[in-house]
Amino acid sequence: MTRIACFYVPMFPLAARLRSEPDLLQEALAIIDGNAQNAHVIAATRRARTKGIVPGMSLAQARSIIPKLIARPRDTECERTAQEALFEVAETFSPRVEDAGEGIVFVDVTGMERHFDSETDLARAAIRAAARMGLTARVGIAASKLAARVAAELPHSPIIVEAGKESEFLAPLPLARLTPELDAATTLRRWGIGSIGELAGLPESEVASRLGELGRELHYAARGIDPRPLIPRPLPPDFREGMELEWPLVALEPFLFIANAALDRLSQRMEMQGFACKRLELTLALEPDGFYARGIGLPAPTRDVKTMLTLLRLDLEKNPPGAPVVGFSLVAHPDRPRRAQLSLFGPAALSPEKLATTIARLVSLLGENRVGMAMSVDGHLPERYDIADYAPPPPPETRRKPQKSRALLAIRVLRPPVAVEVITREAEGKTQIASIRGEGDLSGPVRMSSGPWRVESGWWSDAPAAREYWDVELERGGIYRVYQAAPSTDWFVDARYD
Amino acid sequence: MRELRAALGPSIAAKVRSGAELLRSAANSGQTSIIPTTLEPIDALLGGGLQRGKLVELVSRFASGRFSIVLSTLAAATTMGEAAALIDLGDHFDPQLAEENGVDLRRLLWVRPRSVKEAVMSAEMITATGFQLVVVDVGLHPLRGRRAPEAAWVRLARTAESHGTAMLVSSPYPLTGTACEAVLKGTIARASWIGRGKAPRLLEGIDMNVTLEKHRHLKPGSSTSVTLRFVDAS
Repeated sequence: MTRIACFYVPMFPLAARLRSEPDLLQEALAIIDGNAQNAHVIAATRRARTKGIVPGMSLAQARSIIPKLIARPRDTECERTAQEALFEVAETFSPRVEDAGEGIVFVDVTGMERHFDSETDLARAAIRAAARMGLTARVGIAASKLAARVAAELPHSPIIVEAGKESEFLAPLPLARLTPELDAATTLRRWGIGSIGELAGLPESEVASRLGELGRELHYAARGIDPRPLIPRPLPPDFREGMELEWPLVALEPFLFIANAALDRLSQRMEMQGFACKRLELTLALEPDGFYARGIGLPAPTRDVKTMLTLLRLDLEKNPPGAPVVGFSLVAHPDRPRRAQLSLFGPAALSPEKLATTIARLVSLLGENRVGMAMSVDGHLPERYDIADYAPPPPPETRRKPQKSRALLAIRVLRPPVAVEVITREAEGKTQIASIRGEGDLSGPVRMSSGPWRVESGWWSDAPAAREYWDVELERGGIYRVYQAAPSTDWFVDARYD
Repeated sequence: MRELRAALGPSIAAKVRSGAELLRSAANSGQTSIIPTTLEPIDALLGGGLQRGKLVELVSRFASGRFSIVLSTLAAATTMGEAAALIDLGDHFDPQLAEENGVDLRRLLWVRPRSVKEAVMSAEMITATGFQLVVVDVGLHPLRGRRAPEAAWVRLARTAESHGTAMLVSSPYPLTGTACEAVLKGTIARASWIGRGKAPRLLEGIDMNVTLEKHRHLKPGSSTSVTLRFVDAS
């Protein structure tokens, strides 16, 4: 027997707005639809409702009751992301989830009794999970989508409808719970039909002959029969959060404050699905019109909000949008976090997730190309190097002995090379360097020198290099590598032996 | 535990150990608690090498093989399969030479900060990630950026201690103050050359002198010398 749970968020436009702006929960807030004279209330907070604000009231009427009523228009971006969040909550319970829109999702919970003591426990767990995502949800479980939805819409959630007892459950409820078409509802009211049970008691053929196919479907629904199957939705390729702003933002800090909350929600959603963010895309809606889009690649998949926010800050500081911002959306492209099997006997392996977060934070602190794995490069010029993403191999299964040192003299490369003046002299039939004049320690008479060694590189390219290298030891201490770059006569120090 | 051993035969009782005894024996074995520099005289000065969880400072203003000790330690750690990081404030690292020295570049995280403050922050982040060896090389005199307060080094030393990371700070003059476990000081090293008169002259290497200036558990004042050979890795 199929069991379907319906997750339902009452007053969804309001719930979506409060998820993005939780501070408004205690205020007298109304969500309005329509413009100017047509603006009317579609949902309101408890504080506003207790003062008499009800859906359908015009904004002018509502303001006459509460002059300081906060009115917010419907925010499609907020609603879309709240729907995504509800969908993802449902996905943590079952992979078969149907998105019915407007704060409703259906979940196939058949076979879940192995994970929960009862369906009531399952429903309560779902309510708690939705609350963690900032959504107040109700849950109903039944054998059909229709009965589950009606059960979820009722107060005192969760409500579980036993299998085969759908018609008994629906019978005492008012007919409006089946949301019939207006014409059919008017006709049925004229017949004196007020409850679902009264409609179910009528002969099906008589209802169908008078109300047509619509009447037959309504009669089926009244008997708790819902032939519509659950149509699962595939997993979305990315995670999106965003909102439209009440007024344009011109400074970075207020925007980052809002973006921080959005990133926090993104991180929670990705964590729920076991994903981490590999790439972040920001789209800003600008005033008076136009959009500004930025893509930020993360050095490693991470869910660390601080890291993502720092990278966002750095990117926007470097590339400001150039106009006031009236809305934004953040899209996180997910990737599986790196996993590793830790060893019992070998050196401790680094936690891949911790490493990814650290590298991302280091990149945000120091900038790109300043953190990574050094790579040797084929060539002849000594200053050559390359840097790549740091992805260490797993440590050996058992601890190895260290390699015996070759006791080699190391070189400190000076990047960029330091320009110096060099005085040469002839001695014993050879050219030798007599002294160096440069900044700081790079100055003084030379005790010993050897060279030159000629290095030619890239003679076939546009930037050939021809240099003559010398090793020099200063009287005051310090051994340096100097070179003269042909065809000029300039001298440089490019390394110090240390 | 005594009762258990008494109940067992002597051959089996000798093999039964409590968890605390196992931990003590692992700590006393010294094999896992030290990362050697693999330069024997230096290791002898430090009582075997760099203690995990401790900060050792290597100080020398003039050319004295300071960077050679750094590379040798990195080579030792990475060939053992440990994760190592080099915070290279002066941007002096040469991958070709490091590979020649035996450093496994795949296990080495190379970080190039621009100031001492960035270097200390990076070192703290990396240590907290679980790297087994973190080397902070602050480059040549004068230092880029201002000095970090001593409290920052104390905090870094505590982070190293709590994560069991061996930390080596290589600097032209003392930086870490009371935070370090040991201080090694290098003196001016003289180069040795081969080839006299009209014969071509070649740099052969340097003789490095290092003194143990401070150690919390060993008697300071002892000195040693190490010969480092020149190799053309270009």
